[in-house]
Amino acid sequence: MIAAAWICLLLPLAGALAITLAGNLLPKRIAGILATSSVAGAFAAAVVAFVLMLGDSPGQRSHVSTAFTWLSAGSFHAGFSILLDPLSMVMMMVVTGVGSLIVLYSIGYMHGDNEERRYFGYMALFVFSMLLLVQGGNLLLMLVGWGLVGLSSYLLIGFWHEKPSAVAAAKKAFVVNAIGDATFAVAVILLIQQTGRIDFGAFSAISLGNGGVVNIVALGLLGGAIAKSAQLPLHTWLPDAMEGPTPVSALIHAATMVTAGVYLIARTHSVFELAPHVQDLAAGIGAVTIIVAGLVALVQTDIKRVIAYSTMSQIGYMFVGVGVGAYASGMFHLMTHAFFKALLFMGAGIVIHALGGEQDIRKMGGLRRLMPKTYAMMLIASLALIGFPLTSGFFSKDAILAGALARGNYGAALWILGMIGALLTGIYTTRMFITVFHGDATETVTRHLAGGGSGAAHSAATAAHATDANATDDHAGHARAHHGEGPRTMLVPVAILAVLALIGGFIQVFDWWTGMETWLESVTPALHQPSGLQEAVSSIAGPLMGLLGVYLAWSTYGAKKDTAPRPWALLERKFYFDELYDRIAYGPAATLARLFTRVVEGPLVIGSGDALGQGTRALGERLRPLQNGLVRSYALLIAGSFAVMAIVFLAVR
Amino acid sequence: MLAYTAVGNVFVWIVWIAAAAACIGTGVLVVTRTNPFHSALALIGNLGSLAVLYLLLSAEFVAAAQILVYAGAVMVMFLFVIAYLGGKADAPWIGGRSWHQVAAALAGIAILADVLVAISLSAGGTLKTEAEVTRSFGSPEEIGRLFLTDHLLAFEITSIVLLVAAVGGVVLGSHARRTEAEAAAESAEDAA
Amino acid sequence: MPGPGIAAYLGIATFLFVTGAVGVLLRRSPLIVLLSLEIMLNGANLALIAFARHWGNGDGQIFAISVMAVAAAEVVVGLGLIVAMARKNLDLDVDDLSSLKG
Repeated sequence: MIAAAWICLLLPLAGALAITLAGNLLPKRIAGILATSSVAGAFAAAVVAFVLMLGDSPGQRSHVSTAFTWLSAGSFHAGFSILLDPLSMVMMMVVTGVGSLIVLYSIGYMHGDNEERRYFGYMALFVFSMLLLVQGGNLLLMLVGWGLVGLSSYLLIGFWHEKPSAVAAAKKAFVVNAIGDATFAVAVILLIQQTGRIDFGAFSAISLGNGGVVNIVALGLLGGAIAKSAQLPLHTWLPDAMEGPTPVSALIHAATMVTAGVYLIARTHSVFELAPHVQDLAAGIGAVTIIVAGLVALVQTDIKRVIAYSTMSQIGYMFVGVGVGAYASGMFHLMTHAFFKALLFMGAGIVIHALGGEQDIRKMGGLRRLMPKTYAMMLIASLALIGFPLTSGFFSKDAILAGALARGNYGAALWILGMIGALLTGIYTTRMFITVFHGDATETVTRHLAGGGSGAAHSAATAAHATDANATDDHAGHARAHHGEGPRTMLVPVAILAVLALIGGFIQVFDWWTGMETWLESVTPALHQPSGLQEAVSSIAGPLMGLLGVYLAWSTYGAKKDTAPRPWALLERKFYFDELYDRIAYGPAATLARLFTRVVEGPLVIGSGDALGQGTRALGERLRPLQNGLVRSYALLIAGSFAVMAIVFLAVR
Repeated sequence: MLAYTAVGNVFVWIVWIAAAAACIGTGVLVVTRTNPFHSALALIGNLGSLAVLYLLLSAEFVAAAQILVYAGAVMVMFLFVIAYLGGKADAPWIGGRSWHQVAAALAGIAILADVLVAISLSAGGTLKTEAEVTRSFGSPEEIGRLFLTDHLLAFEITSIVLLVAAVGGVVLGSHARRTEAEAAAESAEDAA
Repeated sequence: MPGPGIAAYLGIATFLFVTGAVGVLLRRSPLIVLLSLEIMLNGANLALIAFARHWGNGDGQIFAISVMAVAAAEVVVGLGLIVAMARKNLDLDVDDLSSLKG
């Protein structure tokens, strides 16, 4: 089992290294196959480990395997170790499973791109980093994985580096995440200082106590989680991260990386339980994010941004889950969300692909008949997102809400916000769905799809399309190659995910079949158990709100798009967060940087080189008159020094 | 071992004082005269008084060599050159940079004071006991023996140095003559 | 040794040396400089001979003779230089020879 876990961790790394080292010698197809097989192999290893773990009794399922001692300073040791227990098992399977599907999908999506090899190398690197984060046996190694996924995210968001907006988005993501990394690091340092250890067993009540230090540690961890999971206030990077290729958005910014924050809180739950106020804060932040993100999603016109804000909102649910102590529910929603959100993104990717790179939903419409398979799968995904009864989303979302109710009064407030969130989810999802798939085909759609396979009209259309501001050259090429719904490598993973989105929820059905909860009990026991009534209430009210939202959206957007109300500027500007951060963070930093360049770097750094040269020259000029060429002066100097030396010798003796 | 009578001692003292006064006086004269001819003559006098002092110090051979070689040959050469230079050799006391003069005086005084102090300090200590010398001390046999046994290398090197100096003198002299000849040829051309 | 002790001889030697040194430093005619140099050398010679007598060691006299030989060689070269200067119609002034100025 341990061997399987190590194989799972290292196989994607081997894939990434192989792709990188082979360089241009590797055909592009092979790069894609290599990446996919390495991640799929990791998934196979994870499944093997899972099956073997099932054989252990529940209390015996936690294994730590250390490869070598990485750091050793006095009594402090940190090993390069992996922790294999039910919680990391869940994450491993989700990451590698969904990951391999998405990498397979990318083979079709990224076909024809100039730098396909680099893309697959980065994807494999990302999977390795995420696995390191998830399997890390101590906080330090987890922090390493944390940083590496941030790096992979940066590399992949800015993949099309000729686009300045992509580069800027990558930088933004990295910088905002750096804030979280900093708080995370502070927490780790404090932990080392307090307990002298860093493995996950260090979080015991005895060593940490109940005082202020634990709160600071928990806050630090929470800060890291918020940044990585794009919760308020460190959420501004996620919508811009949609500049990356769609599979990247699916894998990193929906299914795995952004859920790392939830995993972190679940993993270090003992710390949070010692700092209950911070845990409440986590839940509160999650709840607020649900609402804010949901509101902003209502007015987005870019299909990927709608889904991005939806992701933000759903992660808010997960934060509520772990914030009230319903860890298993939070992880459950993490898993189901990975299914249907990746599915949503991939479906959107198929649409974008087919429309030659068009991402504005106002230019879409009537795709229901032209892309029936995609329509069906997006329908499934949307239903799961809304929490339609019996879909996976239904079970997981309502488990969280029930857990919130079980917490007490504060939880009830969270519950209400969650319900409002469900309403908003229904509205924006339906809005997007209707705008894209229903109604009449727009001019863009007919240009790309209705023309069929006729060469002349199609190439003329794509030529015209190349001048469209939204299209990238790669997509124009794709549309020419396979018009319609895409190759099988793109449709098969989508179909698999659709199935999972439908049936994945049956792992945990209320109180009747608690697969997920029992599985995770040995690691993260829930703090409160919801009563049957609370379960029932949540499970009825949740989908009701969702369906209400569907109805509202249908009546507004279904008939004619033009009757949609004009959204407030507040929503359109995403609550002015970007402007606020620009004012308080970027502005001062830029001013400070300019100041330093002028004052420090100019004179001190560059000037010191000049100054050294000029100073030496000046000194030489001063000393020059000594060389006056007069023999007498030289003789005088000799006589003078002789006199001085003689006196010194005499005095010393 | 020679025994000195009280009269002999007085005689020695008189000679010593005379020689010392002459030495110091001529030394000062050398440095201060404007006419180089006078300076050269003063130097000859200095060398002579030094020879007397050497005799008092039982260095007979050195005294003889001093008179024969130094005063007899070297100084004569000096006088030849001064005579050749004629008016050009005049050496008035033109000032240089003022700080030079002050500094030179200071340096001189400093060194003088220093060494005198050193001598007086050690005169009470290390320099108290004198050695007794035999009659042959400072005689030509003694010098010759030392030169050809203990200090053979110095002897040989000295001779090489003299050889090199002679060659150098010839070279310096002939160079000048060549340019003179060229200058004569040029002026002959110009005139033609 | 009859007469004054070695300290007196050393005093004279020092005086000669310093006088010569001051002459080298202060005079501008190369001829006078050369002559002052001779004075310095003679001062050193006197010290050598005095010490030779004091320790009863003949080495000092040997050294003195070598010094004399070297002084002779040096005078040859120095006078040659002075004559060369005169032939080039240069002023016999040590301060004029400053082309090695930095």
